[in-house]
Amino acid sequence: MIRIENLSVAFDGAEVVKNVSLDLVDGEVLGVVGESGSGKSVTALTLMGLVSESAQITSGRVLFDDVVLQEAGKPRDQALYRRYQGAQMSMIFQEPMTSLNPTQRVGRQVEEMLWLHAEHRPQGPWKHASDALLMSGRRTGQKEEFRTRVLEAFHAVGLRDEERVYASYPHQLSGGMRQRVMIAMALILHPRLLVADEPTTALDVTVQNQIIALLRKINSKQNNAMLFITHDLNLARRLCGRIAVMKDGQVVELGETEEIFRHPRQEYTKRLMEAVPSRMKKRTWAAGMTPDSSVPVVRVHDLSVFYQDGSNSLFAQKKKQCVVADASFEIYPGESLGLVGESGCGKTSLSKAILGMNRDIRGEIVSNTIRPQMVFQDPYSSLNPTKTIGWLLQEPLRAAGALDQSKAMTRADMEAAAYDMLHRVGMEDKYFHRKPSQLSGGQRQRVSIGQALITHPGLVVADEPVSALDVTIQAQIMELMRRLQQEMKLAYLFISHDINVVYQMCDRIMVMKEGRIIEVGETEKLFRAPREEYTRELLSSS
Amino acid sequence: MKYIGKKLITLIMTLFLVSVAAFLAFQIIPGDVVTSILGTEATPEREEQLRQELGLDKPPVVRYFAWAADVLRGDLGVSYRYSKNMNEMMPVAELIGDKLPVTLWLAAVSMLLIIGVSIPLGVLWARSSNHFLDGLLGVITQASMAVPSFFLGILVTYLFGILLKLFAPGGYISYQENFSGFLGYLFFPAMSIAVPKIAMTARFLRNSMLTELRADYVRTAYSKGATKRRVMYRHVLRNAMMPVVTFLGMIIAEIVAGSIVIEQVFSLPGIGRLLISSISTRDFPVVEILILYITFVVIFVYFLVDILYRVIDPRISEA
Repeated sequence: MIRIENLSVAFDGAEVVKNVSLDLVDGEVLGVVGESGSGKSVTALTLMGLVSESAQITSGRVLFDDVVLQEAGKPRDQALYRRYQGAQMSMIFQEPMTSLNPTQRVGRQVEEMLWLHAEHRPQGPWKHASDALLMSGRRTGQKEEFRTRVLEAFHAVGLRDEERVYASYPHQLSGGMRQRVMIAMALILHPRLLVADEPTTALDVTVQNQIIALLRKINSKQNNAMLFITHDLNLARRLCGRIAVMKDGQVVELGETEEIFRHPRQEYTKRLMEAVPSRMKKRTWAAGMTPDSSVPVVRVHDLSVFYQDGSNSLFAQKKKQCVVADASFEIYPGESLGLVGESGCGKTSLSKAILGMNRDIRGEIVSNTIRPQMVFQDPYSSLNPTKTIGWLLQEPLRAAGALDQSKAMTRADMEAAAYDMLHRVGMEDKYFHRKPSQLSGGQRQRVSIGQALITHPGLVVADEPVSALDVTIQAQIMELMRRLQQEMKLAYLFISHDINVVYQMCDRIMVMKEGRIIEVGETEKLFRAPREEYTRELLSSS
Repeated sequence: MKYIGKKLITLIMTLFLVSVAAFLAFQIIPGDVVTSILGTEATPEREEQLRQELGLDKPPVVRYFAWAADVLRGDLGVSYRYSKNMNEMMPVAELIGDKLPVTLWLAAVSMLLIIGVSIPLGVLWARSSNHFLDGLLGVITQASMAVPSFFLGILVTYLFGILLKLFAPGGYISYQENFSGFLGYLFFPAMSIAVPKIAMTARFLRNSMLTELRADYVRTAYSKGATKRRVMYRHVLRNAMMPVVTFLGMIIAEIVAGSIVIEQVFSLPGIGRLLISSISTRDFPVVEILILYITFVVIFVYFLVDILYRVIDPRISEA
């Protein structure tokens, strides 16, 4: 049905997609797997006719049922494309938060799909004006019919209370609900092709599972073809019949999913699969520490953390919200304690309290180490772009010296410590004088880790430290964190939404739900026999 | 409702503080009203008499509260300078009431021009993939923004008044005698006010739309098969209006407070000219009321902008 032949796409002369050929038949699910910058999204957007005008197709063509949608050397025929977009092929995106118009009710947005492809749309010089009148509901008969169809579509994707959803604005819905709305919108006209670009990456794990199940159900019921784009090999394996692995704009391997997983032909595919953290694999990183009777680095007892309502008013009483309730646990030297839970469960608030960044707390935090340090998720925005790496590495030392005269170091000592740390995180001397913008994501995260460790704290709080990184880089960073842990006798509080990462990295796991710690246990034990239903759900989700 | 109540309290508090500040300012600045009315040749007896007539012999605190009580009762006092007839001074309410319609109508016509032209222009500009049109609009708006308003007023007078003879320069027609003639005359000063503001608003809207065009929901709209025009007007415009609305609010506040220069150039008897002349003659009762009026206008316009925000973006009312 869909054929992409020998497609190359270039931006400003630089080819980001090179000679890609893919084809899909009705009902088939084809996965496109690759790391960021591999050209998988550009391929999908080109197929959909959505790639920006600055992109140039330098070779090849895209066909839909033998109709040429676009070809190298010819401008895109927008009018032709518009007949296919939405009706024959539609797309769902990664970010359900931003992919819907924030100022329009979602029901209307889905309905727009029906209006755009309705048969008797006005023509002639006044078509825009009469179109607007139609949309505003003058022809009530059709409006009612459309409304009913939208409500049915909502029902079909598992949205309950359809009337309320119809009248809601996107911000009033949860991420999972928004993605369901997107799916309802994409499928309301029963297109033959659905392009899904990382549709679950931005969602919580349990929601992720539901969306995948929904996509699979729809696929078997409507028999639509699906192009599933993801960086997650495990996910692709669960959903796709065939997989195309992309690297640097090229398809390096294409074949039946199980065939590829059992006998990867390419070196790159092998590396990609090895890097993916998985429960099937032996835990190579976890040290197997068991908490003995040694003194904990940090002991938290009956800790509650409060959050003040942000409203800044002279008149209103400030409301306090309890975001973490009665948390008690210990972190021992040399261990990695994993903290898992869905977004909004209080993970970050808890870690901030331990770092002393939130003082509105009740309960007790006893620390037997110097001030704990933190590694952040986004290595792009957490380093000051105007400073050199050397300066950034010395900053915690300067801060410590300013706080406590006895810890003040000479300039030369600080510089030596920074060089030493640079080596420890596996980087060469030459990076000392570079700026963050000259570094890759993985290198920046190494610098962040170096910053956290340079004061030799006993505890490091790592908030999703590998979530923004590609899988192969992810593996390197986890390796590094583990090595440094052994070298420096560190304890980690390791926050992540990725169960597989936590499994690989942590000795013990703590599960949070709605501000409470509901279960703590050794990793292997917890995975084998979770006590709580919620934990089971969380673990089974990936 | 609670929100409106809160805003109302803020408004009252602000008006109180501003009135005190304005009152104090007139105690501090040099120059005596009595001297400025009677001139330096007057006898001390005559000065003392006038001082008593105007109530200036009492301490400032007493005067402030007496004045405030009068204002609250609706009595805005009388001007020191303008007389109604031989025996009576002009009441401030009447004085301002006379000039206010001129300024308000001028503001209304200007805003109509600004909104009516700048929004389609901004959308057109954001849509233009044509480099020539893009560059042309860039140059034109830049030039319009840079021209000082008095010069623009002179240009308009010369072009439309003297060359094209579309109106009689300086021939202001009072709204009381001929309303349509008044509006016809007003169109030209309104245009002089509007042109630079149109340029700014259009530029602002264009930039806001270009930013908004990168948003994910725009891609979603295209993926449904919507035309560029539809995406622009149905999806992008509303979201891009947020910063523009603030900007328009600033402009309204500025114009309603009186366009001093334009009123001068076109000899319009509006609030702006009244303000200038009252300040220079220390006509304190008039200035004090004008300051309160301007304060009220600014706060009220921002209140409207706030309401408009909530209408445009449903996310705000719940935050």
